[in-house]
Amino acid sequence: MGIMNRLLILILLFTCTGTAAQQVRLDISHVVGNMPMQLKVTEYHNAAGDTFTITVFRYYLSNFTLSDATGKAVNAEKAYFLVSEDSTRSKQLLLKNCPAGKYTRLSFMIGVDSVLNFSGPQSGALDPMYGMFWTWNSGYIMAKLEGFSPSSRLPNHMIQFHIGGYRAPHVTQRLVTLELPTPVTVSARHTPQVSLEADAATWFDGLHKISFRQTAGFMAPGTIADRIADNYQHMFTVKEVIHRR
Amino acid sequence: MTRKAIYLLAAFCGWLWIMGSSRDTLTAHAPVVEYYQLKIPDSLPPPVYDFKKNPLTKEGIALGRHLFYDPKLSLDSSVSCGFCHQQFAAFGHFDHALSHGVLGRTGVRSVPTLFNLIWQKDFMWDGGVNHLDIQPLTPITDENEMGMDMRELITRLQGNKTYKGLFKAAYGSEEVTTERMFRALSQFMAIMLSFESKYDSVMRKEPGVKFTAEEEGGHRTFMQKCASCHKPPLFTDYSLRNNGLPYLPSMNDVGRMRITNNTADYLKFKVPSLRNVLVSAPYMHDGRFFDIFQVFDMYDHGQEKGNTIDPLVKNGIPLNAKEQRQLYMFLNTLTDKNFIKNQDFSEVLITD
Repeated sequence: MGIMNRLLILILLFTCTGTAAQQVRLDISHVVGNMPMQLKVTEYHNAAGDTFTITVFRYYLSNFTLSDATGKAVNAEKAYFLVSEDSTRSKQLLLKNCPAGKYTRLSFMIGVDSVLNFSGPQSGALDPMYGMFWTWNSGYIMAKLEGFSPSSRLPNHMIQFHIGGYRAPHVTQRLVTLELPTPVTVSARHTPQVSLEADAATWFDGLHKISFRQTAGFMAPGTIADRIADNYQHMFTVKEVIHRR
Repeated sequence: MTRKAIYLLAAFCGWLWIMGSSRDTLTAHAPVVEYYQLKIPDSLPPPVYDFKKNPLTKEGIALGRHLFYDPKLSLDSSVSCGFCHQQFAAFGHFDHALSHGVLGRTGVRSVPTLFNLIWQKDFMWDGGVNHLDIQPLTPITDENEMGMDMRELITRLQGNKTYKGLFKAAYGSEEVTTERMFRALSQFMAIMLSFESKYDSVMRKEPGVKFTAEEEGGHRTFMQKCASCHKPPLFTDYSLRNNGLPYLPSMNDVGRMRITNNTADYLKFKVPSLRNVLVSAPYMHDGRFFDIFQVFDMYDHGQEKGNTIDPLVKNGIPLNAKEQRQLYMFLNTLTDKNFIKNQDFSEVLITD
């Protein structure tokens, strides 16, 4: 092995440890009520009593913040994540460059900042090729749930909820704040792991009950989108905080 | 000694990391490009388009032009942007009321002309698209237009030898991304300026260029009766209005209301520029008028006066035969022959 190779490996090692430092890993699992989410096959029931299946469950997360017991908040590195039930990798989020500290609260946004909705095409998770950008009425689809329900009067009994809208009065970004059951300690040596659960049943329950007989789909900015966003603002819970030694 | 070496290495890695994070994602390796200076007449307001985020380069424009004329951007490689946006029609679709698409499909609105786009804040007849850089996404993915899946398109272009060269020249690497593709298309469309009509020469008081008496009369009528919406020098104020065009049940196009869900926006459509208007028939959002005199007649006596009709035209625009003739002569002075024949915008034949 030549000196150059060794040097390269060393550089690689240093670069890796450099960026790997001070991260928090989030593992997200999806459930519907008290059942694990299984696309296409499992039948669920909403609060209105409709039976339904889910074929697509996808949403953006961004603007991650950690706060300590005194209320002081720090930001993780700016990043946008497209979480999708059909992709295991998309459910493992790495929050990079978190300042060292002991944190008791995690906050983030469901959706994409307003300014990026009118700034032309973006790259990475925000690439319009992922089908999360409306072409007829520019703006991101912040969250998407599709499936089927016998109660739906749409063609083929489909249910289709594409939730978006960034301009007042129909704004669908929602801030989520979660208290951590045990504090998360961020340091260069440990990457703590937080397990989150997102419950898709909340979309149709909570402040505003949605019955598929009445509303089987909504795919534009508007009041129903706002209501579903109000509902899914509460879809996350913290299951566990793990510190690996 | 070893410790010193490690410190040095660490510093070097830190530097690499900093350089890595600060570089522009669009230009991973600084390409050797030739910047393009756009000449905008002094009399115009500053453009809305932000060139700082997408500086014009000869290579970027060349890539954009290639993309614009490439039918590979459509599902069955049959329809390019230039298929509907024809240069001789000021990039409108000559003689076609509604847009055409792949597999013989037809859209629901007429093809707008393309020029002076860098002053436009929103796009499409209902203003639903909010940025020039994102506009092509709509026709490319619309099943009645180019019917293409974006992921498939990126893969298709990535595998093409010509594009490898064009992307490398414009951005420093062969990588094809949606962002790079759309920015290049914007660069090509941004340079489509049309300010060399006879009207412009007259306004600039160029020696020997004068309106004829008929054109002069038309200009007066225009300034009195049309110019508040079709405002010079762009000949539009880019607003959305209900001009009284009768609603067609067979089309059921509600206009801006589709975007805002607000009944106050019922039947409102974008005010189009009247530059090059006589070469870009048919007219209106559904291309229902093939002759400009039908448009004059509509304003004179053919409006449908619903709740949302614009206050400026709610009493119609009376235009007698002489005014109509002179108006026609004046509109003729808005045709920019240099623009519709400019070799910089002409079609490139793409066979691979």
